Amino acid sequence: MRILVVEDEPKTGDYLKQGLAEAGFMVDLARDGLDGLHLALTEAYDLAVLDVMLPGIEGWQVLQGIRKAGKDMPVLFLTARDSVDDRVKGLELGADDYLVKPFAFSELLARVRTLLRRGSKTKEADVLRAADLELDLMRRRVTRGGKKIDLTSKEFSLLELLLRRQGEVLPRSLIASQVWDMNFDSDTNVIEVAIRRLRAKVDDSFEPKLIHTARGMGYVLEAAE
Amino acid sequence: MMLRRGKSLTARLTLLFAIVSSCVLLILGLVIAELVERHFEDMDLELLEGKLELIQHAVLSARTEGNFDNLPAQLDAALVGHHGLAVGVWGPDGKRLFLSEEAEFPENNAPLKPGQVLPKTWKGHDEQHYRGISGQAPTGVQGEPPAMVLLSTSLTHHDHFMQSFRLTMWAVVSLAALVSGFLGWIAASRGLAPLRNIVRRASDITANSLDQRIEAGEIPLELAEVVSTLNDMLGRLKESFDRLSDFSSDIAHELRTPVSNLLTQTQVMLSKVRSIDEYQDVLASNSEELERLSRTIADMLFLAKADNHLIVPTQEPVDLEAEISSMLEFYEPLIEEKQLQLTFHGHAEVDGDRLMLRRAVGNLLSNAIRHTPEHGFINIALELDGEKVSIRIKNSGETIPSEHLPRLFDRFYRVDSSRQRTGEGSGLGLAITKSIALAHNGSVSVSSTDGATSFSLRLPARRSF
Repeated sequence: MRILVVEDEPKTGDYLKQGLAEAGFMVDLARDGLDGLHLALTEAYDLAVLDVMLPGIEGWQVLQGIRKAGKDMPVLFLTARDSVDDRVKGLELGADDYLVKPFAFSELLARVRTLLRRGSKTKEADVLRAADLELDLMRRRVTRGGKKIDLTSKEFSLLELLLRRQGEVLPRSLIASQVWDMNFDSDTNVIEVAIRRLRAKVDDSFEPKLIHTARGMGYVLEAAE
Repeated sequence: MMLRRGKSLTARLTLLFAIVSSCVLLILGLVIAELVERHFEDMDLELLEGKLELIQHAVLSARTEGNFDNLPAQLDAALVGHHGLAVGVWGPDGKRLFLSEEAEFPENNAPLKPGQVLPKTWKGHDEQHYRGISGQAPTGVQGEPPAMVLLSTSLTHHDHFMQSFRLTMWAVVSLAALVSGFLGWIAASRGLAPLRNIVRRASDITANSLDQRIEAGEIPLELAEVVSTLNDMLGRLKESFDRLSDFSSDIAHELRTPVSNLLTQTQVMLSKVRSIDEYQDVLASNSEELERLSRTIADMLFLAKADNHLIVPTQEPVDLEAEISSMLEFYEPLIEEKQLQLTFHGHAEVDGDRLMLRRAVGNLLSNAIRHTPEHGFINIALELDGEKVSIRIKNSGETIPSEHLPRLFDRFYRVDSSRQRTGEGSGLGLAITKSIALAHNGSVSVSSTDGATSFSLRLPARRSF
């Protein structure tokens, strides 16, 4: 998967490139709008991450240029100004998602993966698996090592999210919004507690442990290699 | 900023005064002149008619005595002392019987032909104006046609009078214009003095003295509204200015502690070579702290926008019962962990922004959960109270001293100022709830008695059509 990052702030650009590369993407970094547009039009990318405020030509113009050339790769834009106008403008010009600075890198990564997944229609599995853990979507049943595990409906949704995106670090804010529809940053440790309770049911009396805490970033479900 | 400058108000008023008074005087003068002139005409005609009668009488008596031979002598006697009066008499046969020396009748003192009419006024050879009448004088002889009489009077005196009258009038009008202009200037300057006063006061007000007001005491009625508008504007300015400076100092205070923590921690770690685990630890802890910082920044921006009325809630029907139930599901792990007794009853719908309302209520809920001791209780009630819906969240816990209550919704306000950040809660939650309530035309309140604290969020009820 190739990603184009257009970002003029040197540190941000470098870390975005490093972070995305370490998450397994091939990343090209352009430091101004003109280079960015040139790369976007000449190379083939699966996704572009675009800063709005750029020297040379603005991110909006890069976005317009990309869409005008008929390229329909998903575009995620980054903005420092959280104004409704900006968001509306970006989405109207054909952006697919946006993040307001400062953002957590784990959040960016999660959004990037969501956008990339949107493009490829994989067959929806009826049963999600990790190691000996099985989650049956049709029968709403969870088993581990053949033993049935009773979960509340929200615990089921939480586990489903973790399983669907296993291997990805999911930030707390994303978990809160996807599972509980809580779209504001709650200042409580409720996600921590919810994860702890899910772990008690899914992981505590089993090996290997599947749900891991990525400190300072979020949670990840991963069957140890 | 450059203002396009109009004419000065004083100049305008002065000009206006001068123009108005000159116009009035001019019209008055013209009317008087016209009346005088008419009066002169009447007087002249009266004189001429009288003389005509006299002449008719003289003609009659002269004819009786003889063949008009005595007529000139009689007429001379009759007309003596009448300067400017001229008479011409022509006998029935058309022969001239008498003509005054200074006579200046039209067409070289010729008698009128039949059907000819004497003009009302005319100009003689000497360039003077004359007014005249014509008449007939019966001779008293049967079958003899009457004698013809022409009478004229010189208008020189009148002309002189009118000329000097006009001259005087123009002089008076010009003088009046000057005088009234001057008076107008004085009146306008004095009348506008309060305005200059206001200007002086207003120009004294700076960002540091926004609490000064322009005193309304000595202000004339017409300017009272201007002054009160200005004062209101100053009030609003001061409010915004205060908010802005409060906001800046809040930012500085609240960001200083975490930033200094981050700095210290990072630099201490860098001062020595450490194990990978230690590095990971400090990076993770930094990341958590930074995330909290960025949340605080986002919250402050939200509040700043709300202060400036940039938060415009959408208007959609929101079922509060359903929203609160779903939020309670989210908080359930915490509630269970603290073994809180939770009750929730009531039903209400409002119009508003679903996400914002969730946030407002969510902040109250997490606040309640945080401050309720283990095994405590939280009672949530939705009540419809006339036009308003109230969401009441009551939790057990230490009674909050009443002096703190009014300030609980202030940003960064902490009841116990010695207790520093406990790791969770930016101190902005309740302020955000209040902003959201205000943006929905609602209100917030809090009371605390007997070991229970109760927060209320009141919103306009959904109007049922």
